[in-house]
Amino acid sequence: MAISQERKTSSESRPVSTKENGVSSRRFSLKKLFMPKERVTADAGEKNNWKAWLYLAPTIILLAVFTFYPLINTIVIAFLKNYDYTTQTNSGFTFDNFGTVLGLVGLSQSKETFYRWQCLGDWTSNVGYVTMADGTTKTVYFTMDVIQYALPNTLIITFVTVPISIIISLLIAIGLNSIKAFKKLFQTIFFIPYVTNAIAVGMVFAVLFDYQGIINFVFGLGSQPWIDQAAPAWKAMIALCIYIIWHSLPFKILIFLSGLQNIDKQYYDAAKIDCAGKWKTAMNITVPLLSPQILYIMITSFIASFKEYTSVVGLLGSPSTDGGGTKNMYTIVYYIYDMIKGNVGYGAAAAVLLFIIIMIFTAIQFQVSKKRVYY
Amino acid sequence: MEIRLKNLTKIFPGNPKKGIPDTRAVDNLDVVIPDGKLIGLLGPSGCGKSTTLYMIAGLLEPTSGEIWFGDEDVTDLEPEKRGIGLVFQNYALYPHMTVYKNVAFPLTNLRIEEAGTIPDREKQDALKATYANKIAAAETKEEKAKIKDELNVELKKAVLPDLDSEGKPVMKKRRLTKDEIDKIVRETAKIVQIEPFLERKPSQLSGGQQQRVAIARALVKKPRVLLLDEPLSNLDARLRLQTREEIRRIQQSTGVTTVFVTHDQEEAMSISDEIVVMKLGVEQQRGVPQEVYNDPCNKFVANFLGTPPINLFKGKIKDNKLYVGDAMVREISEKQVPDQDCTVGIRPEGIVVEEKGNFAFHVDRILTMGRDIMLVASHPEGLSNIKFVVDAFVKVGVGDIRVSVKPHKCFAFSLEEGEKRII
Repeated sequence: MAISQERKTSSESRPVSTKENGVSSRRFSLKKLFMPKERVTADAGEKNNWKAWLYLAPTIILLAVFTFYPLINTIVIAFLKNYDYTTQTNSGFTFDNFGTVLGLVGLSQSKETFYRWQCLGDWTSNVGYVTMADGTTKTVYFTMDVIQYALPNTLIITFVTVPISIIISLLIAIGLNSIKAFKKLFQTIFFIPYVTNAIAVGMVFAVLFDYQGIINFVFGLGSQPWIDQAAPAWKAMIALCIYIIWHSLPFKILIFLSGLQNIDKQYYDAAKIDCAGKWKTAMNITVPLLSPQILYIMITSFIASFKEYTSVVGLLGSPSTDGGGTKNMYTIVYYIYDMIKGNVGYGAAAAVLLFIIIMIFTAIQFQVSKKRVYY
Repeated sequence: MEIRLKNLTKIFPGNPKKGIPDTRAVDNLDVVIPDGKLIGLLGPSGCGKSTTLYMIAGLLEPTSGEIWFGDEDVTDLEPEKRGIGLVFQNYALYPHMTVYKNVAFPLTNLRIEEAGTIPDREKQDALKATYANKIAAAETKEEKAKIKDELNVELKKAVLPDLDSEGKPVMKKRRLTKDEIDKIVRETAKIVQIEPFLERKPSQLSGGQQQRVAIARALVKKPRVLLLDEPLSNLDARLRLQTREEIRRIQQSTGVTTVFVTHDQEEAMSISDEIVVMKLGVEQQRGVPQEVYNDPCNKFVANFLGTPPINLFKGKIKDNKLYVGDAMVREISEKQVPDQDCTVGIRPEGIVVEEKGNFAFHVDRILTMGRDIMLVASHPEGLSNIKFVVDAFVKVGVGDIRVSVKPHKCFAFSLEEGEKRII
């Protein structure tokens, strides 16, 4: 009642309020920043705005404390040298964190070596030597963990698991949608991985992929090490990808299934009349009409797999399959996590880089989807 | 293509546990649809007309009975093999495709059969030799390229029919090429007049345009039978008039056998060569629209055809005369009819206002329709809303009036089951 009255008055006083708006436009107002213009004029009775802010307050406060502040702080820390979060001290502004993380040594040391790849030192000791302009040699620290392991691993996980899991879940969803008997039962079965704990499932997979495990037994592979300390990284990666795909299927199936159920059955009748085969119907009718869901799933699962970390912990327990020397199973987030105990600045820099990578990929997907997605 | 439906029956099973009985959507339907004609399946909703159409299309499987296209029994044939075009009630245009792609889609699935060919080596060698000289003689690069193109065209023509060991041509199936598809799509677009919209999406079209696109999509593969499921129900009144004439024009220009489902009797009567009136899955009457209107076989058909509907009264037949109350509305001259109670139906246009008329009723209201006026009336024996239509120049006012009834607009229906027409 009160709201409708408000609306009425505000719409009546529209010309007046526009004038008000013109006056107040000189100073900065949050309201103008966050609200669409029409809404501002329609709701210019400023006295009522505190209510809106009150209702929004819990969310805004929580977001500010737990999302916006950490987000901004991370970016700041990424540019601080020797930041220590217990004492809150640092040694000033620097690009070194990014240089270290990217193995790009001497980013700010001297003009001669600026932007030069320098991997002169001993990789395992993460120490490099940069020749300065005056001929002296300076020791710098860098890590190849990100460039050599974390970034490639993350990219492999993303570009292997996302397409495969989307295709598999799409096929399962189409299958589930077309059966009648036991539909609910199968839906439940396919949804179970979603409600199980990632670490627990990881342990189950660890047993499956053990050198004495079922996988070796069923496929008659002898005592192949997959995820043990003696396993090469590519084998561990296969096991990891299978685990990630399996664990990511149910949510995708759920989304696709709900999308499929919204497609008008008449399109399939029309396709039948138009003599389209099953495959052609799937590619020309189902997939385009499901494209909003596919886009949604693609973007969210790209982001999720760039942030992959729990699966490595769950399946392998450590970022290394060769006894702890190299971090050959690092992912970017795993590296970030490890850096919390080490140099926070490196972790923050890696987080910023990950953020940029995700932004770029998401932007590319949106760009591509403009032509491909039908709403 | 003549379509014959033989004892076609469709039963949708109910659920005995929940006490839902089986539904006989179509009951022993026997219809012959002549080649090249437009037939309207007409009936109120739930009479099984759409079910019949979907069975002809093959999207529903008949419980029993047969469907014949010409000499071919298609009862168990897949819809894609029947060679039909179907226009859905809400068109079911693929929303993500342009109009062009929508229309081209059936063609991309089509495989045509034609006599196979093998290259004629001797002729091709000779061609190559002559063209080699021409190419050598050409001066510029462009000319050479042009001559080479010509050669390629000629080479494609230099073929022999592919014959098997018995001398019969080997038939080969192939898909249509892009150029062939383009040609057919544009031809069809011209027929239904959608050429300007070919690059648009269906959502950017009006209802009538979408409807024409749907017809184009159905027609593009040259179907043996065109089926239209309530094609005009989504259009506004003016567009409906225009579009139904369009359908008639398209049907006549293509000559395709067309079955047209509608609940709107005016629509069906105006464009159909023949109409089939259905009720609860049973065919009531079939024939040329005007004949069915003039000569309905039972009360249902008489009541269903015509707007406003026929006026019904309680009446009786006595001494071969038809009475409503005490008023004798019509003498029965054509045959002897035993005395009985009956229902009397008088078409709205079936009266002449005159003082000496022997039928009287009370006019409650007068509605001006422009061309004529409608009398909303009441009568103690009336069974339905009573509405009569008279010419606009006839002077009538609210109150009791006397009229005489035109004999050929007045029917009597039996009270027994089926409510057959007596006269």
